[in-house]
Formats: sequence, structure tokens, C-alpha cells
Amino acid sequence: MSAPARFAATLLVLAAFVPAPTPAHAEDAGADTAAVTHAELERILEGYTEQIQTMTSDLDKLKRVKFSGYLQARWETSENSSDSVKVAGNPYAVTSPNLGRFYIRRGRLKMTYDSSPLSQAVFYVDGGTDRTIRLLEAYVTLMDPWTALHRHQLTIGQQNVPFGYEIERSSSVRELPERSKAENVLFSGERDRGVKLVDQWTDRFQTTVALVNGGGINHVDFPNTDPTKAKDVLARARWSQGWFDAAASYYTGRNVTPLTGPDVATDKTRVGFDAQLFYALPRAGGGTLRGEWYGAHEVNPDSVKALVVAPTAANPVRLLAPGANPGHLATDAEGWYVMWVQNAGDRAQGVARYDRWDPNTDLAHDQFERWSLGVNYFWDGFTRITLSYDAIRTETKSGAQYVDPEDNLWTLQVQHKW
Amino acid sequence: MIARIRMLGLLAATLSLAACSPAPVESRGITLKGSDTMVILGQRWAEQYMNQNPGQVIQVTGGGSGTGIAALINGTTDICQSSRPMKPDEKLKLRDRYQSTGIEIPVAKDGLSVYLNEGNPVKELSIEQLKAIYTGKVTNWKQVGGKDATIILYGRENSSGTYGFFKDNVLDGQDFAASCQTLPGTAAVVNAVAKDANGIGYGGAAYTKGVRDCAVKKNAGAPAVMPGAATVKDGSYPLSRFLFFYLRRKPEGDTKKFVDWVLSPAGQQLAVQVGYFPLH
Repeated sequence: MSAPARFAATLLVLAAFVPAPTPAHAEDAGADTAAVTHAELERILEGYTEQIQTMTSDLDKLKRVKFSGYLQARWETSENSSDSVKVAGNPYAVTSPNLGRFYIRRGRLKMTYDSSPLSQAVFYVDGGTDRTIRLLEAYVTLMDPWTALHRHQLTIGQQNVPFGYEIERSSSVRELPERSKAENVLFSGERDRGVKLVDQWTDRFQTTVALVNGGGINHVDFPNTDPTKAKDVLARARWSQGWFDAAASYYTGRNVTPLTGPDVATDKTRVGFDAQLFYALPRAGGGTLRGEWYGAHEVNPDSVKALVVAPTAANPVRLLAPGANPGHLATDAEGWYVMWVQNAGDRAQGVARYDRWDPNTDLAHDQFERWSLGVNYFWDGFTRITLSYDAIRTETKSGAQYVDPEDNLWTLQVQHKW
Repeated sequence: MIARIRMLGLLAATLSLAACSPAPVESRGITLKGSDTMVILGQRWAEQYMNQNPGQVIQVTGGGSGTGIAALINGTTDICQSSRPMKPDEKLKLRDRYQSTGIEIPVAKDGLSVYLNEGNPVKELSIEQLKAIYTGKVTNWKQVGGKDATIILYGRENSSGTYGFFKDNVLDGQDFAASCQTLPGTAAVVNAVAKDANGIGYGGAAYTKGVRDCAVKKNAGAPAVMPGAATVKDGSYPLSRFLFFYLRRKPEGDTKKFVDWVLSPAGQQLAVQVGYFPLH
């Protein structure tokens, strides 16, 4: 349609909204009708313009609220799947669920409000594994006004702890269904409450420091108390070359075991290094080689419990056993993984990972090893199907020998991310 | 034995899903999505390339650079047209999905014009003055050498690369004044300024029709420079920028042929005809 034709059509449409002249004036309106109509049309257009401006203003406010999230529906089947769950204790309690099951691993909804270029609020909940809606993250970020790209950002609230590569990557983009064992043990829940300062000093170099309560969101004391007056401190430095990234992380803080008498406070220290190498093959596409190492020196809370005189009805005190020194219980723990990811075109991806966790480097037979193999298929831009196999090796004493329990696991997962 | 049967079942299920999944984007031809500034340029490139290469299908849509980059990440376009460089967090999102930060190909140069109404007596503005105007510190044309009238601000939506470029390079990352009216495309900005005697807008130099370009000074003491082929090419115009193609990986096959043609003298000459500037 030509421009004059479009203009004429627009006038016709607008004219339909103009009230028709009443019959009493129809005869004598005559030549003035065109002029009146033109003036009225202008007023109508101005009215519409004002309405559009108001709607645009309202829409701009709504566009500051962003909803995102993802859902992971899963079917698992393990070698030790059975027709009954195991129970123990009195009253009976489930100790190990049957692993031949459908379940929702993660069902997450995130709301971000970009109130201005200088501040942002995030509210993030999970309705997956637990039967209740659980608050995962809730924080406010303040961005510096003195750099164009806001290279210095302060975040306060409940958030990811800045330690290691696995934690900073969302579960929605990870190539295997679960993180490494070392990360699961040392940073269960991955989140804590505190304050974090991120400084992007150059395009390639970033540092992060944080103060947190300690313990994390899966700790029994969370979220109402922090038994340690001093806060745990984290620091992370990252160099990003684009095709090669490397980072170091450090964590220092304390664990407390509450007793009737003086509480037992023990130090905990964790160190981590991670590196990622990215490359591209001519037809297959991108690939990555990754490695991460975790080291920890701390007293295992379960070990401390062994030194505590258990309270009874007759004697409800809870004290450290005479002569016990929990400082001697500190042990070194170590975990690491290496991982290979290779894309095959834009839709398929293969993954292999070996991860290892040793909770006490001085002990034998307590190590955890796992080979994980996986295939990802990207159905479209939002949905991914994952098939993975975990070959787990641990040692359990059976008579005079140690045996590897049958607990290897198949996982089929469909994830939709919006 | 049962474990093996289960394993085969899982594999069969996955392969079945893969077999009946939607066709990849590339099988429907080449798609370009992104910058509204570049949408006309992309369409002209596509038309001429398809004329010269019967059987080739190239689809071009706008939506803004941010929208195009999101489409590149979620796999719904082959090529993203962007009037700004990708941000670090966008590169990380791309790398999370494809193990690659993507391929950046500059395809043309553009001068980001500051549009004034034909009747506006103001001829030149410095970057500092533009920043003061668009952050709301200067609200009357009289404060920058014009008549006594309120300045009416027109700009783009935040998904626009032009919005991002102006914000980063003129406003130093500060927010636009609340009174700035956001419009869905550069043509709409030009149209608004053409009708508003006190209006000011910004957008690609190729869209300057019915409005007047304002000469821009790097600072108060620097010479005022008009956007043009020579000043954009030599960088003396303060608001010159590259226009980009972004791809997930190194172009191959039909995509490579099209990109090569865009960068060829024929493609670059077409960019000049549309109102942009060649790379060399």
C-alpha cells in the first residue's frame, strides 16, 4: 500500500470514531464539515498520543520487572533401587529413598527488579526437591555511579558464596545434572547471608570479597541464628582471557558446637583453584576442558560430637568429655574434578567428568570417586534433554573386606528454562 | 540384564526425541535478527544477495541488538545484527551454552547522529552538553544557546544497541532523564523530532530525513564535527561506531558465503548507498 493510500485508510479508520453530525445540523453544516472534521481529528490524535504516552510510561515500569526460571523434571534409576524404602529408628524414619523414581529436582522462579541503573533487587525461590517453597536468594545490588559499565557492585542479602567455578554457574546451564561431590560437601546449598563486593578492575581481571554468617542455607541453624560472632570471610580472584580462564578462592571462618558449658569453636579454612580452557573444532563447534581443586582444613562437626558427653533425662548437661581437645580433630580434606565438554553442532553435546572427594587425607577407604558421562540434546532454545550415567565408587566394609556398593545411577532429565 | 535393558530404553527414548525434534534454524535458510538501526541495511543486503544467488533465503528481522543477542544465545537466529559490542555477561551466557564466546565481525561503520528539528537554531553541542540534556540537568534550549523553550527528549528502548551506545558513550552509564520519551525505532525518533520544534533525538546517520544533524564536539574546546563519510572514517566525529554481525561459531557453508559477500566491495558499496559507511 502506498503512503497516500495508507494515510487515506488511517483517516477513514479515525473518522469511524468521530461522532456523526446530528440530523438537525446535517443540512446546514455543508462546507464546514471538512474543516470541523479535520480539527476534531487533530484533537483525537492528540488524545491518542497522550494515551499512548501514558501507556508507554506504564509499560516502561512493568519492563523493569523480569521473571525468569527453570524446571527440571527427572527420572532416576539406580542399581540399588528397590520396592521399599529403608527405615530405621523408633519411630521409623526414611533413611534412604528408593532411587527408581520420577521427581522434580529443581523448580525455580526468579524475579529481578531493575529499579534504576544503580540498583537491582532479586528474589529467587525453589519449589522443587522440598515440598515447600524455599527462599534461595534475596538480595539487593548497588552499582557504582562512577564507571560507565558499573564495574564495582555491592550485594547484600542471601546469595551464592563466591567460591569456585561450579558455584558461580547456575544449575540451569551446567552440563551434568549435579555438581562435584567436593562442592556438595563443602558448600552444601551454595548460598549464605552476607555482603559481597565485586570489582571488575579490567575487562579480564575481577576480584570478589565477601563476609557471610557461615554455615550456609542447609545448616541446621539457618536462617535464624549465627552462632559465631565473627563472620566468615571469602575472597576470589579471576583472570579471564576468553579462551582460558583461571581463578583462586579462599575461605576462612569458624564452626561452633553448642554445649551447656563453653561452646566448642574450631577454625575452618578452604582453598580452591579452577581453570577452564575453551576451543572450537571446525565442524563440531565449541569444547571445554575444565579442572577444579578444593582443599579444606577443619574439624568435622561429626567428630566433635564424638567428644561430647550426650545429655540424658537425668543429667541434661551437654559438655565436652574430660580431657578432650577438639583442635586435635582438624583434618585435611581434598577434592577435585576434571571435565570435558564437546558440542556437536548447535544441538548436541557430550560430557565426561571424573571427580574425587577425600574427606580425610590421613585415612584410607573413605574416598569417593565418580565417573559421570552425559549427553545433552537441545530441543529448542529453551528446552534441554539430558541423559547421564554416574559410576560411583566408594568402599564399605563387608566382613574383612571392603566392597564397592551397587549404587551407580542413570538420570534422564528434561529442563525448560524461560 | 535388567540394568542393560533400562539403559537401552533410556538411549532409545533420547534418540526418539532427537529424531522428532524441530528442524534446525539453518535448514530454513539464513536468519538475521537484532539491531533496528541495521534492519534496513540487513534487508538491502539480503535482497541483493538473494537476487544474485537464486535459491538462497535470508530472513531479516529487528527487535533491537539485545533481542538479537538473546536470539543468538537461544539458537533462534543464525546471525545477530548488533549496533553495539556484546557485553561481558552476554558473552558468558553464550559461552555457557556453546563453549564459545562467539565470532564478532564488524560489517560497516555508522555515525550516531543527534537529530534536531529543522527550525532549531542550535547548530552544535558538546558531549558534555548532550549528557547534561539527556540526564535532565539541562532542560531549556536557552541554556545551550537556543531559544527559551523546554527541551523535549526522544530516545530508544533499552533493548536497542543505539540506546546502549548512547548511554555508555554520552551519558557515561548514567540513566536517561525520566522525561525522555522512548520510541520503538529510529524512524519513530526522526518522525517525532521532525514534528516537534523543541525536540532532540539520536539514531543512525542513515535515518536523517526531515530533521537536521547537529554537529558534535568531543569537549567544549574541540571543533564541532558533522557526521559524514570522511569524519566517521577518520574517527574525528565523536559518535562513530562499528556495526557488527555476531555468530555462534566460525561461519561455514551458505552463511560464510553471505558474510563474505557483505564484506566484499559489492556489499560495502550497498552499505554506502543505504547511508552507512564502509569498513575501509
